[in-house]
Amino acid sequence: MAFEFKFPDVGEGIHEGKILEWLIQEGNKVEEDQNIMKVETDKAVVDLPSPVSGTVLKIHASAGDIIHVGDVILTVGEPGETVKESTAPSKSPEPSKPETRPEPSSEKLEDKKASSPPLQTKPQFHSSPSADFRPLATPHTRALARKLGVDLSRIQGSGKGGRITDEDVEQAAARPHLMAPLPASTGEGASQTRTQSDSPRFSGTTSSTEEGEVERVPLSHLRKVIASAMTVSRHTSAHVTHVDEADVTSLLEIYGDIKARQEELGGVRMTLMPFFIKAAVAALRKHPLLNASFDEEAGEIVLKKYFNIGMAVDTPEGLIVPVVKNAESKNLLQLAEEVQSLALRARERRLSLNEIQGGTFTLTNIGPIGGLFATPIIHQPELAIVGLHTIQERPVVRKGEIVIRKMMHTSVSFDHRIIDGAEAARFMTDFVSLLSHPGMLMVRL
Amino acid sequence: MVVGSISRGCQVAVIGGGPGGYVAAIRLAQLKKDVILIEQEPSLGGICLNEGCIPSKALIHVADLTLDATQAHEMGVDIGGVEVSMPRLIAWKDSIVSRLTGGVKMLCERNGVEIIHGKASFASDRSLSVETSSGTVSIDFEEAVIATGSSPMPLKNFPLDGETVIGSKEALSLKEVPRRLVIIGAGYVGLELGMVYKKFGAEVSVVEFLPDLLPQQDDDVVASIGKRLEALGMDLYLGHRADRFEKGDPSRVFIVDPDGKEVVLEADTILVSIGRNPNSKDLNLETIGVNTDEKGFITVSDRMESSSPGIYAIGDVIGGPLLAHKAYREAKVAAEVIAGEPSAFDNVVIPAVVYTDPEIAWAGLTEKEARAKGLNIVTGTFPFRASGRALTLNQPEGFVKTIAEAETKAILGVVIVGSSASELVSEAALAIEMGAFLDDLAGTIHPHPTLSEGLLESVEAALNQAIHMVNR
Repeated sequence: MAFEFKFPDVGEGIHEGKILEWLIQEGNKVEEDQNIMKVETDKAVVDLPSPVSGTVLKIHASAGDIIHVGDVILTVGEPGETVKESTAPSKSPEPSKPETRPEPSSEKLEDKKASSPPLQTKPQFHSSPSADFRPLATPHTRALARKLGVDLSRIQGSGKGGRITDEDVEQAAARPHLMAPLPASTGEGASQTRTQSDSPRFSGTTSSTEEGEVERVPLSHLRKVIASAMTVSRHTSAHVTHVDEADVTSLLEIYGDIKARQEELGGVRMTLMPFFIKAAVAALRKHPLLNASFDEEAGEIVLKKYFNIGMAVDTPEGLIVPVVKNAESKNLLQLAEEVQSLALRARERRLSLNEIQGGTFTLTNIGPIGGLFATPIIHQPELAIVGLHTIQERPVVRKGEIVIRKMMHTSVSFDHRIIDGAEAARFMTDFVSLLSHPGMLMVRL
Repeated sequence: MVVGSISRGCQVAVIGGGPGGYVAAIRLAQLKKDVILIEQEPSLGGICLNEGCIPSKALIHVADLTLDATQAHEMGVDIGGVEVSMPRLIAWKDSIVSRLTGGVKMLCERNGVEIIHGKASFASDRSLSVETSSGTVSIDFEEAVIATGSSPMPLKNFPLDGETVIGSKEALSLKEVPRRLVIIGAGYVGLELGMVYKKFGAEVSVVEFLPDLLPQQDDDVVASIGKRLEALGMDLYLGHRADRFEKGDPSRVFIVDPDGKEVVLEADTILVSIGRNPNSKDLNLETIGVNTDEKGFITVSDRMESSSPGIYAIGDVIGGPLLAHKAYREAKVAAEVIAGEPSAFDNVVIPAVVYTDPEIAWAGLTEKEARAKGLNIVTGTFPFRASGRALTLNQPEGFVKTIAEAETKAILGVVIVGSSASELVSEAALAIEMGAFLDDLAGTIHPHPTLSEGLLESVEAALNQAIHMVNR
């Protein structure tokens, strides 16, 4: 009996993926656990193993296709077995249909009086595609869907009889295949040329408008995911940011001492990140609300007894947040090694799904780039994120004297639904104190 | 008002001061836009206030009053001779109209909308030329809303002369009740005004080209109205084509029956109401790239955007059901879109009302439409003759019918025939728009004794658990 391999539910929040490459062909023999394909999901490229051994009878989707959880992607069995024609996975939603307003033609522009006010461009919002489709959703929910760009015809309501709730819409906003098509190109009339942009990160379509030349760049899969995740986070949490500063002079002395003995670390490059992670874990132990999530449906706070610290990594394609699991049980050297490995593989998009999920708290280290401080956005469903900013020598007053110390601003964005300002301030005071007095950090490791 | 060749500027120009235009203008002003509203007639309010919805309802109310007075004997009241004075009735009607149009003008002004009276056409895609009584005014705009409405469709061989051959506008301001009235077109205008003049004592004949009354409506609805027309003594000529007329005393209207045989009707007054055309011809739309369909209705997206960027259109001029409340909603959508909000016309239902006697009102799908779509449905019908309130009002005609999806029990449509159907239908519209199921309405307490219980009972009938009637 042939086995139909359906794209599995690989983890929370992952509902679709894009096939990058098949590692096998029809007719090949596969072993159980042998990798058969590379799939790009929300934030990682994953090798998918075969759950059974046998002969590949049919491959149901091609590289480039978007597959959803439950789609049959592969049939494995004995050679000669018949293959049931299965439902083909839904085709890639891209390229999206242009929904932009057509640009005024150059001819019309000439007709226009010079004094005429310019045409304003407006944000594009999705419109229901089919006049016949009737979403079971209240006008309020439909307005929310338009605001978040969710196509109601593509989501299954969780309510009775398929009623779509506000929560369904918010959740859908985090899943790009449920999103409305995004504006992709300009309309007819405008002169279009596909150009190699000066910046290697963008390659879009340039066109002339009344105001000047613009380039329209289709969003990457990752950028869409980031865009909706940020919108949902802003929409979900009551963001407040608290800022403090740490005197890291002593910490840098210790760090300098370790760097000087780098060769004794067996090739691992020590950075400040492991210290920040350790200080965060110590402060989180004392302030467990910041290492938690909010189960709104149950009306409960979920306090995490483990410390999975996410760290924001800037990659050429966009932000990725790999997670250092159980940071409380790892020493500084192990943390250094893991941080290095995760960051490298994030930039190469080689993280496994497991490595970007399950965070309980996030650190974002913006310091190396510059700036005074920022207000980070919480990584859902967490309740807090700490921003680490540039270390600078600044004059400060110690015992009535102005002295030069190495200072670092730290910020914490927290979800005020659950965490009050006073608790966030107590956490930050503790965190800053641990960074300023590394001796106390050692005591609490 | 600035006159001469002086050019004016605004952020948004709204063309037409009817239900679409004035609502768009007010909402735009609320959204902090600098708005000029252009109206070619001396008063705001469009067809709806001046020669449509409002004046006709004034006449319908008085006609019902007249009939009730003559029929009050059974209820123990004798009123004696009932006489209708058309001049006094029209004066009363006009006072209502001027009060409402004055109110609209006040609301526009208080919201900071500038009103210019004149006839507008596009000079370019960012400017209008407006012919006012004191010269041409040029108005530059950033965005424009076209809300120019519709006009009665002319009928070959029946040119309106305002005396013998009239349109709905004149029919709402007649100086006397015609002895013999022939109405061409059995749409809602023809039926409503036909019943009015029948109740005022005219002999009324209605000629309809189509073989059925209200072709989109369910058979039970059509039967209900047909019965009433017969009881009132109106002559109905379905499937007859109005061919020509000879003016005289009386005038003679020649109509052709389905077999090609000619029938002659005597008439003192002929009312032509066969539909409406969009007012899109004189706007110079072609030169600014605003597309229209083959009938001249402007095509727009569900965000009310025409094919020309920055030019929006709403109301009758974009087609669909030509209803003031559709225009109201479209006006708000257009205004909010112009202000950068994520609005779209995503309404599930546009309720509709025909002010016949009894009234017909519906929201969502009719039974006929639901079946035509191949939907698996359940229906429940409650007749008003089983309603205590309907009987105490001496209004036992009609029924409430609810149509729901068989599987999920989601309400798809409600059709109401009967007294106050126009008021009752809003609950159904809300229920459908909110995605209600039958048991949502069944679980809602409806006050007793009211006509609104009819909807509750029809919903329970669809669930096979009506109390005040025997379930099937």
